[in-house]
Amino acid sequence: MSHPDSPHSSEKAMDIVNNVKSSSHRIRNSIATIFGVVVLAGCATNAPQDTWQPKGENAQIINNLQWIVFPMAGVVGVLVFAFAAYTFWKFTDRGQPIPSQSHGKPIVEIILTIIPALILTVVGVFTFRGIFELAETKDTEMIINVTGQQWWWEYDYPAQANQGITQPIISSGQLVIPVGTKVLLRETSRDVIHSYWIPALNGKKDAVPGRINLLRLQADEPGIFAGQCTEFCGLSHANMRMEAIALSKEDFAKWVAGQQKAYTSPADGTLAKEGEGVFLNQCIRCHQVNGLKKADGTPAIAAPDENVYSGAAPNLSFFMSRNTFAGAKFDLLKKSCRSDVWDASPETIGAKYLAGVSESCLNATDLRAWLRNAPAMKPMYADPTKLVKSGGKYRGMPNLGLTETDIDKLVAYLLTLK
Amino acid sequence: MITPGSKYFFGLTGLSLIAAILYMVLVNPSDLGAVALFGLASCGAVIGALALFTRDGDVYTDEEAVAANAVAGPASFWPIVFALGSAITLAGLATVSVVFILGIAVLIGGGIEWAIHNWADGASSDHEFNKFARARAIGALEYPGLAAVVLGIIAFFFSRMFLALSKESGTIFFMVVAAAIFVVGLLIAYKSFMKGAVTVIVSVLAVVALVGVGTFAALSGERKELAVAAEEDHYDISHRECGEEKSKYYDHHANNTVSMRSAVTATIFVKDGKVYAEAIGLTTKVDTITIPRSNATSVMFRNLDEKDYRLVVNLGSAKVAETGVVEKLGTCTQLTGKNQEQVMTLTIPKPATEAEPFSFTVPGAAGEIKLVVP
Repeated sequence: MSHPDSPHSSEKAMDIVNNVKSSSHRIRNSIATIFGVVVLAGCATNAPQDTWQPKGENAQIINNLQWIVFPMAGVVGVLVFAFAAYTFWKFTDRGQPIPSQSHGKPIVEIILTIIPALILTVVGVFTFRGIFELAETKDTEMIINVTGQQWWWEYDYPAQANQGITQPIISSGQLVIPVGTKVLLRETSRDVIHSYWIPALNGKKDAVPGRINLLRLQADEPGIFAGQCTEFCGLSHANMRMEAIALSKEDFAKWVAGQQKAYTSPADGTLAKEGEGVFLNQCIRCHQVNGLKKADGTPAIAAPDENVYSGAAPNLSFFMSRNTFAGAKFDLLKKSCRSDVWDASPETIGAKYLAGVSESCLNATDLRAWLRNAPAMKPMYADPTKLVKSGGKYRGMPNLGLTETDIDKLVAYLLTLK
Repeated sequence: MITPGSKYFFGLTGLSLIAAILYMVLVNPSDLGAVALFGLASCGAVIGALALFTRDGDVYTDEEAVAANAVAGPASFWPIVFALGSAITLAGLATVSVVFILGIAVLIGGGIEWAIHNWADGASSDHEFNKFARARAIGALEYPGLAAVVLGIIAFFFSRMFLALSKESGTIFFMVVAAAIFVVGLLIAYKSFMKGAVTVIVSVLAVVALVGVGTFAALSGERKELAVAAEEDHYDISHRECGEEKSKYYDHHANNTVSMRSAVTATIFVKDGKVYAEAIGLTTKVDTITIPRSNATSVMFRNLDEKDYRLVVNLGSAKVAETGVVEKLGTCTQLTGKNQEQVMTLTIPKPATEAEPFSFTVPGAAGEIKLVVP
């Protein structure tokens, strides 16, 4: 063991000091890099959930408010931080004598009360105006019931003659609305609190069990607008997504007509027909396909209330007319086909979306993986050993143990549902 | 030295602990019983420690104890109350539960009073001090207990009056009573002639009036429509006829009990004998209401007509597993008076069949609202 005063030990001490300095530099550089990345991320233009890119009247109201509040808050924030920093620097204890102490400066106190009061008054006026404008529902042109559950959104369109909806339409994952139409979402939830948010079209609104909360959306032009559940709702909260598809009024009418078509059973002897049989044996326990009949000719009615905790599973009647599945987590379209739809111009997006999913464009990899073992694709409480608390009911799609042959048949059948 | 009193509690603690361990090993380690036994052990330990700390609450020295016990204390009527409580309890066992509960209450009250009285008698040879010790020990229980009994008597007699009088005359009667109490209170507070004997006389008269009128009301029974409603089981959910009401009287309590007002999906109205509906968010009338599957959803029924109506939801029919009989499914609100409303909450797990569509109807009024469960 070397003596503390030996040249050997002083070298070691220098090494330690250098190491500490080097680690300190590394930490500082890492923090600066992270901060820089965060700041630069704010400059991204291709950000589908950017709150600063409104695409509808309601989002524009919020955006207008942001442009008033954020600069004011920014100026106040900078001033406060600068003043605090100056104070820390100026009055750091350097051994100087303690300055004379005084108490009470009426002028300063009055000014420091009046200025924030004025700022808050200005912000309050614009905020309250915005709140009342966003809460307006009197001139609603269309209503859609939106029901959240772990971890997907259900949309049902009540019959509305003015929109050509003569019988209720039910869908999930993608909300389809006509442009330039004041659409009122009537939100609720079947299990826990969720929150619906399509940033380009409006702010967020909680979907609460037992209550109906109203949220108005209006899109200025055709397009696809991404959203995300914004209330932590369980294991797959981050995978509970949604998309609003705004179509021109003509295209929307076509979509409505497509969703009200009668069910057509696949031709006998086809793989799809065999897939219908698999569906009737397995999937019908939870998933409804309107018009589907059992072998004896009676209507096949799904019973998600007996199998799923929330009491509902996505209605798959026109499954391939959507572009996503599993709570909009996965694309039904291959990457190239998806880009073709998502990057389409407002003039052409309607036709491309209405084309639905063809066999050549199907993202068979994800769909097959989902059918093979859904819980492996999206975290869910679908483990039978963990079902005690939910009374034996699944919270998501379980692993059905399908064979590859069954999956082939099911995929063929699902492709016919559009 | 461990005092005799604390020994009992420490013994209880030890036995409870043994019982708790045996229970956990032999029955169920996570059962409520083990928790209860551990709770009992904890309570025994705490009370034992307190008894030890206070030397069993003995306030006298050995000499003083001899002197105190050499002088007979004043006579106590609490043993008689305790005996009466025992008799009432036994009578209650043979008759009705109300008498039994009353007997237990008298038994507990008399027992506590007797025990405290006895303990205070032996506190010292000074009767005045003993009286003070007794008052101090029991006062914290006696006053709130007495107040609860008095309030219970007042509430009982007032409730009999409420039930016996008609709604209109009851309102006027209690307005007069409240005003009289207020005036007498003011006089007692501000006028000197209301002190002493006058206040006592007024209080006695008030008690006599309360007991007299209350007893008369109780003997008269409930007003007619309440008596008839009870006879016809209107308070029982199984009574719901879901048709036009045939009875003259019905449950008026049902009216004005709307909750979750802001969370209804639609409101169904009846006006001029016709049914119509408005969905939340739409200002136009709708002839179809859509309710999500398997989700509790509320619908408001508002009667704007002169007659009384009820809302009925028809949910098809189903075969009863036990009997094989096909029965209609559905439910209804209670009768709803003019300008009053009711909420119906529905959880419907499956859609209707083509043969038996769901609908809302109002018996006695024209029209129906279709109910769709997609």
